[in-house]
Amino acid sequence: MTAPAKAAQLAAIEQSGWGRPFRFVQPHNLAFWVYLLGVGGGVLAVLRYFGPAVGFYGPALTGGVLLFGLYLVPWLLLLRHHNRFTSQPAGLLATAFAWGGIAAPFWIALPANDALLRIWSKVGGTSFAADWAAGLTAPVDEELAKALGLVLLIGLAPRLVRSAYDGFVIGAFTGLGFQVFEDVLYVYNGAAQTYGADQVGTAVQMFLVRGAAGVVSHALFSAIFCTGLMWVLGRVPGDRDVPRGVLAMLTAMVFHFAWDDMTGLSGGGALAVVLPFLIAAVELVVLFAVLRRAARQERAWTRDLLGPEVDAGVVDPALLDAVSGLRKQRRAYRRHLRARRRSRHLVEAARDLAHEIARADGNDTPEVEHARSELRRLRGTG
Amino acid sequence: MRVPVEHRWLGLDRRTFGPGLVALAVALVLIYGLPALDAAIPWHNEIRAGDVLDLGDGATAVPPVGWQLEDGTLTGGAGTGATSLQVLLVTGGTTIGMQGTAFRGTARAFLDQVRRSEGDNAPAVDGEVGTLTTDAGLVGVVRSTTGPGGDGVEAAFKMATGTAVDAAPALLVRVRSAPGQFERQRDKVTALLRSIAPGTTR
Repeated sequence: MTAPAKAAQLAAIEQSGWGRPFRFVQPHNLAFWVYLLGVGGGVLAVLRYFGPAVGFYGPALTGGVLLFGLYLVPWLLLLRHHNRFTSQPAGLLATAFAWGGIAAPFWIALPANDALLRIWSKVGGTSFAADWAAGLTAPVDEELAKALGLVLLIGLAPRLVRSAYDGFVIGAFTGLGFQVFEDVLYVYNGAAQTYGADQVGTAVQMFLVRGAAGVVSHALFSAIFCTGLMWVLGRVPGDRDVPRGVLAMLTAMVFHFAWDDMTGLSGGGALAVVLPFLIAAVELVVLFAVLRRAARQERAWTRDLLGPEVDAGVVDPALLDAVSGLRKQRRAYRRHLRARRRSRHLVEAARDLAHEIARADGNDTPEVEHARSELRRLRGTG
Repeated sequence: MRVPVEHRWLGLDRRTFGPGLVALAVALVLIYGLPALDAAIPWHNEIRAGDVLDLGDGATAVPPVGWQLEDGTLTGGAGTGATSLQVLLVTGGTTIGMQGTAFRGTARAFLDQVRRSEGDNAPAVDGEVGTLTTDAGLVGVVRSTTGPGGDGVEAAFKMATGTAVDAAPALLVRVRSAPGQFERQRDKVTALLRSIAPGTTR
């Protein structure tokens, strides 16, 4: 093992914060108390909002919670896949989700949206407000409210929340929490709009509409917005890029605006049918571009983490390219091995080794040795 | 672990203040700053002579001149949905809210559904349910309420005449006024209710 490779490995561990545990209860940390205030305020608002209606609107609320609870499962699997580089601890991601689901919508967005919607009606008139107020309100209030979860997590886990990619993953979880809780709120509002007639039908209808739209909704907006915020903050040497960060944040807000003011933008004509698909396509292209750019740092850290293992012959250069690369590199590795299943296992095992090395602070522990032996076994060199 | 003395303030670690204070400040601006700004801006959306309310799908009503339109749109705009309609008209001490929704059944059944959904815990005396026919021939039901919190009227319509009534959108008009104020506005409220007309397509 060369000294520069080991130094790069230790620097990557230090900068990335990978392998560090997350501790939520931190009585000496102001961010902890602000977080509790926000979630506590959100819980009280939830009780005030839904409490009196639980009896009569029980079928709608139960249907909404069940349907959107199921809706969470594929989302969590997808986000787990995208958490593969950093492997942020589950506790940290749950903290982000709870902020996004309870504090952001109920403590902040409900009163802020009400006020800003009325302000637009007063300033521009009710016709203007009917067309544009939603899109001029939610992208401001809600994106800020959700991003505060990321800011508080930086306070709670400054060593864990370092890169733009961390912002992407945490933003996605915060946005997912917001999306799912807001969906349940929409189910309730839909049932209340019809004064409780056909509540289950309303819940199913809302699930279909909001579920489909949710593919390009809050999780996407927040992932882009929070990635941009991390580029602005630049918490890793060389990661700061204020113009790119501001552009990403504005892009997320514009996407949110476009989604909320679809009727105003389409003018209610034939464009209204095509526009949602057009906007969704643009959003997904931008999302993957942001993800790709944000992952550069994590890929470099993965290379540095496994560098000494290449020197030691545990990881071969082709596998290093695959585990630290994009889909293209993984496909090339698959072709190189001519075995899809084996290549997937090797990439997974190399990733496990990287995580164990980070968790052990670069030392040789039984866990690291086990991960190495697993990799050797899979490669057939053990 | 104890916080080093030079970083300690009321038991908190001063090094953690940055993110906590930023988040708290932004949250407070959104939660309290925006409502304060809203309260400071007066309404300037007065109904003028000739204005007509858009109730969706071509349905209309003539609002009282001089009242503030705080929610809802006038005819001539982009149009609104009859089943998601929200209108709020306000004048000193009295408000008129109009909500449109989908409902299958009669106007009377719709009014009963509204009452069921909201319970009836407020200390108030309900009047008998009466019939109200608008100038356009829509037949609705109306019920008055009076109590220590003020007086009110609820009127329910199905926005169609003839055989299309059952599937037509429903409209709830809700008038609330401070104690002793309703009589002053009675004529204007009655005129608004009588002016409600369904869309030409129905």
